[in-house]
Amino acid sequence: MKTGLRSQLQRLVSRRTGRTTLDKQHDQADTGSGPLHYRPAEFTDRAPHVRDAFNFSRWMWLLTAALVPALFVGLYNTGYQVGEALRSLGTDATLLGHGSLLASIGLSAESPGVLGSAVVGLVYFVPVYLVALLIGGGWEHLFAVMRGRNRVEGVALTTLLFALSLPPTVPLWQVAVGMSFGVVLGKEVFGGTGKTFLNPALVGLVFLYFAYPDTMRNSSVWVPVAGWADGALLDRMASGGIEALEASGITWLDSFFGWTPGAFGDRSAAACVVGAVLLVSMRVVSWRILAGGVLGLAVAAVAFGSFASGLVPLADLAWYWHVTLGSFAFGLVFFATDPVTAPLTDAGRWIYGMLIGAMTVIIRAANATHSDGVMLAILLGNVSAPLIDHFVVRANVRRRARRHG
Amino acid sequence: MDHLTLFFEAAFIQNLALTFFLGMCMFLAVSKRMDTALGFGLAVFVVQTVTVPVNHLIHQHLLRSGALAWAGLSEVDLSFLGLITYVGVIAAMVQVMEMVLERYAPALARSFGIFLPLLTVNCAILGGSLFMVQRDYSFSQSVVYGAGSGFGWAIAIALLAGVRERLKYADPPAGLRGLGLTFIVVGLISLAFMAFPGIRTG
Repeated sequence: MKTGLRSQLQRLVSRRTGRTTLDKQHDQADTGSGPLHYRPAEFTDRAPHVRDAFNFSRWMWLLTAALVPALFVGLYNTGYQVGEALRSLGTDATLLGHGSLLASIGLSAESPGVLGSAVVGLVYFVPVYLVALLIGGGWEHLFAVMRGRNRVEGVALTTLLFALSLPPTVPLWQVAVGMSFGVVLGKEVFGGTGKTFLNPALVGLVFLYFAYPDTMRNSSVWVPVAGWADGALLDRMASGGIEALEASGITWLDSFFGWTPGAFGDRSAAACVVGAVLLVSMRVVSWRILAGGVLGLAVAAVAFGSFASGLVPLADLAWYWHVTLGSFAFGLVFFATDPVTAPLTDAGRWIYGMLIGAMTVIIRAANATHSDGVMLAILLGNVSAPLIDHFVVRANVRRRARRHG
Repeated sequence: MDHLTLFFEAAFIQNLALTFFLGMCMFLAVSKRMDTALGFGLAVFVVQTVTVPVNHLIHQHLLRSGALAWAGLSEVDLSFLGLITYVGVIAAMVQVMEMVLERYAPALARSFGIFLPLLTVNCAILGGSLFMVQRDYSFSQSVVYGAGSGFGWAIAIALLAGVRERLKYADPPAGLRGLGLTFIVVGLISLAFMAFPGIRTG
């Protein structure tokens, strides 16, 4: 109450001394000298006074560390795909962007070798990531300053996830627009990290996906070479089924390790498995969501195979193919498991994972407008998570009431 | 059209709240608490399932041009009375519903407050009847459509209520507190529902 007696007094005091009464006492208590002051060697500065080594900052950096395999494989693969495309298209094929930069450092994009491929990938990835980091971090900083809040490390992870999910040909201004939408409307308006209900990187991606379909899901966006338009594996299968892949000599192992065209970092299911093992063993993410996701995907794939076989091209695709395709592994490990937006109950996590897995197959097989539905499925999962939690909690309350009734 | 397909389409692909943005006033007003929202979703579901087929019968046998042929008045076209008749049917239905709720679930009726009588002028419910007329559904289709669209609306308000309950601890800027943030939430939920359009249901 601004009109209360106490606040009137406080205003009076602060007008005279430039400080509130409580401020002065705080100074006294903080000097920490004299017999009445005991201060432990370790102390926390704000409530809640959790003294766990595993604080929020470490949590975020561990997630970032788990992304490193996907990042390295993705960088190498981006350069590798550029080389493949240049070789297959012949002499008149040209790089889209950064061609002169690569020439000036004396790197042949056509046959760059292992390290060279990674450098080519780096040349394409760094601008995208820097823009995402500057814009995302800028919004975080702006909101923190304007609202008097702390900046948190969450934004570093958000920008990395966002940049890794973009196709290499994405225009930088769209990176800025998508990151702004994701960070501001997906996070900052709710009060920042931990207070939102959707993964901010996901919000930005889905926004770009619907707003700029030409740069996000065309068949020519996945490799930055002019004239290349083979599409990601799912695009090729949407018309020709699995035979279209076998004809071009791509095996399941290629798809699993990620030597296929796609976004910067989401291609390698193997790298995501490495990340997932780290995260699950550190108990950063819930294994129930991962298991539920793969289970839901498998059940839906088998159901499509037995009931809709022959109706749609992807219906007969085996579940172990589905796991490696598109951004399923990447999305499930790094987006779906976000503890803020996933359900908080264990049973809810199973349901949530299965919902995401099943929706992925449904969108892939039955929805002709989207070739890969993983991000949409996860967004739908995020939206349903509170409702799932509600029903799980209510069922639990009812069961216990019956048991102890 | 297959009835199951029609139900799925009415509930998810053409969701009245999240695709057409119909019935927004109650969608925003009654979604603060999950229990109220679920009860209200159920009320909309029941009202919709009953009024769409009833309005279908009235439209087909009384109002449509040439519908009165059975009474020897084949030139009469009463379809200009459509809007007021549908609202009348909905009002009567809501009245019955209100009495039933006050008798058997007084706590729920109290938590609805003014919004239960206001269901009469809920655009989602009137919209359901008007879509039924426009798309020329058969009787059985109108039953399925009524149930499907009501179910979709109930799902939507339950999702919104869940999110709003979770956002109780959110810390939005002062100007966005309350309804402002809820509008953004509805927009984001409807963004997630864009996964459905395009799904081949046949």
